[in-house]
Amino acid sequence: MAGSELSQALEQMGSQAGATQSGNALVRSLIGGLVTALPVLVIGLLVLNFAPNYYTFLALGAFVNLIVVVGLQVFMGNSNIANLGHSAFVGLGAYGVAILSTPLAMKKLSIPNAPFDFATLELDPVSSALIALVVVGIVALVSGKVISRLSGVAATIVSLALLIIVHSVFLNWTDLFKGNQAFFGIPKVVGLPWMLVFAVLAIVTARLFKDSRWGLQLRASAQSPQAAAALGIDAKKLRLMSWVLSALICGLAGVLYAYFAGTISPKLFYFQMIFNTLAMLILGGMATVTGAVTGVIVLSIGLEFIRSIESGVTVAGIQMPQLLGLSGVALGVVIVLCMAFRPSGISGRHELDELVSLLFRRNAR
Amino acid sequence: MDYALQQLLNALAFGAEYSLVALGLAVVFSIMGLVNFAHGEIIGVSAYSVFLAAALGLTSPFVAVLLAVGMAALAAVVFERVAFRPVRYAPTTTGLLTAFGVSIVVQNLFMLLISPKPQSVSVLNGLNQMWFFGPFAVSSLQVMELIVSGLTILALVLFLNRSTLGLAIRAASRDFATVRLMGIKANRVIATAFAISGALAGIAAVFILARRGSVSPDLGFGLVLKAFVACVIGGFGSLPGAAVGGMLLGFIEVGLLVALPQEYAGFRDALTYAIIVALLVYRPEGLLGQRIELGDKEI
Repeated sequence: MAGSELSQALEQMGSQAGATQSGNALVRSLIGGLVTALPVLVIGLLVLNFAPNYYTFLALGAFVNLIVVVGLQVFMGNSNIANLGHSAFVGLGAYGVAILSTPLAMKKLSIPNAPFDFATLELDPVSSALIALVVVGIVALVSGKVISRLSGVAATIVSLALLIIVHSVFLNWTDLFKGNQAFFGIPKVVGLPWMLVFAVLAIVTARLFKDSRWGLQLRASAQSPQAAAALGIDAKKLRLMSWVLSALICGLAGVLYAYFAGTISPKLFYFQMIFNTLAMLILGGMATVTGAVTGVIVLSIGLEFIRSIESGVTVAGIQMPQLLGLSGVALGVVIVLCMAFRPSGISGRHELDELVSLLFRRNAR
Repeated sequence: MDYALQQLLNALAFGAEYSLVALGLAVVFSIMGLVNFAHGEIIGVSAYSVFLAAALGLTSPFVAVLLAVGMAALAAVVFERVAFRPVRYAPTTTGLLTAFGVSIVVQNLFMLLISPKPQSVSVLNGLNQMWFFGPFAVSSLQVMELIVSGLTILALVLFLNRSTLGLAIRAASRDFATVRLMGIKANRVIATAFAISGALAGIAAVFILARRGSVSPDLGFGLVLKAFVACVIGGFGSLPGAAVGGMLLGFIEVGLLVALPQEYAGFRDALTYAIIVALLVYRPEGLLGQRIELGDKEI
């Protein structure tokens, strides 16, 4: 099975002339992405129409996680390098819009001494979001230049160093980021419908990248660096590309989080988020976008259940004590067991639409 | 002059501690390619067992030191048996993520079973005194840290060079299959490597406890992140690289401590990491790492 992507890559490189064929592939991967996004869309619409407010709030958080995990999949799934720093980009996106779009009256309370006249600047939400994403892109490009040159393990450690650098700047540049305190008063302009639109967009983008020439070549070089290099695949350039795309999707998640929650603080974008999203991706299966979606759905529900036990439940009239740390133990156990018994996660190697078409073909036979 | 000497000792002591932890990571990585994120939790287990022993009335510092080192070695071997053996032949990323998972589990178990808040441990406070040499006042802990780390590294070098098992470990880092063909059990080599790595972490734990006087669930995590960075600048998997990388990290940190004005002190970690990332731009394979071209057999 190893090298299957490689032979695909070779085949595709050979048939670049067949423009109609690549056109078909584009349509197929677009449809595939939409099929993968379908469960998300259904859940989203159900929550939108029937669920009480509390669940809507939970669902919004889960959708942010979904976008983060899909972003993570773009880099980890294709390059097969563990990234432990992606929540830095989520944080940058969130703080970017917080600084740019918070109303002036609020800023007078929260960051009166902000440098570069940010205290007297108020932009509309859309242009704030665009500027925040440009900033995320620049940081990703600079860090990606380093990370794409390193071998797998060193790249992981540097991604972690990046997280610590960004977190430490959030904490210590108090004039701009308010340090350890919550940054409040961000306009709440994003509701569930917009969140759904962006979640579907992120899923389709991830799928298009995975099926694109670059995605295929990157996966091929992750499987066999030597053979891929022999085909003339520039792995460094492709890693950089997927790193930046991954960061932009994560940054978008941060922007959306800030716009729905209205309040952010640095600790939201630190190790807890890394643990959560990484466990989701691993459980679902990091090789596919379907895996990312599956993991988020399963673990979001599971974690919510565990959290209710954690805060102390009443079983048969007896009040159980608070069990702080239980959800952490569960996340870790999920990761360890998955790696030991099913490293490819729930969804394995196939996307949802591929599974469906396999099923139909088998029935037709 | 006094100040300069003091800071030099500071840097050496920090560097020695990072080197110990980084060596522990490198020993394991060099033979089985496992990036052991759970190394910090080995330090945690060691520190918490001293805490528990003290709570049960064992307050002799000598016992505490033995217990710390012994429990750390034991914890490392147990982690290997329970969690890392199933993924021994898996790709590096799988092992790395498993170790990350173990680290999360153990950290949260400390939180769940003991307390999320720091707990005070005063057994080893006696190690941390001021010694006066004529005009100089030095911290006994830093001097001991330096001497003990030096001796430990010497012992490690002797073990790796003079004993059969040490030779097997060095050989296994190059070609595990051949080591097994020579009739040495893989499990034994790996268990020994983990025990060594654990003992090194245990020694580091003693110094951390003596300095901080308390234990908390994330006690070892931050330190191990730094040790990883030390490994990366030294060249991942290279033992001399880990020692040199650890020392370099100690010097960069103390250098920044001296150079940065007080109001920017919070940025020390960020700057340390930024400097190291910048170093990696020029030497992606680390200071002592060799550039391995694709297809090279001899490493």
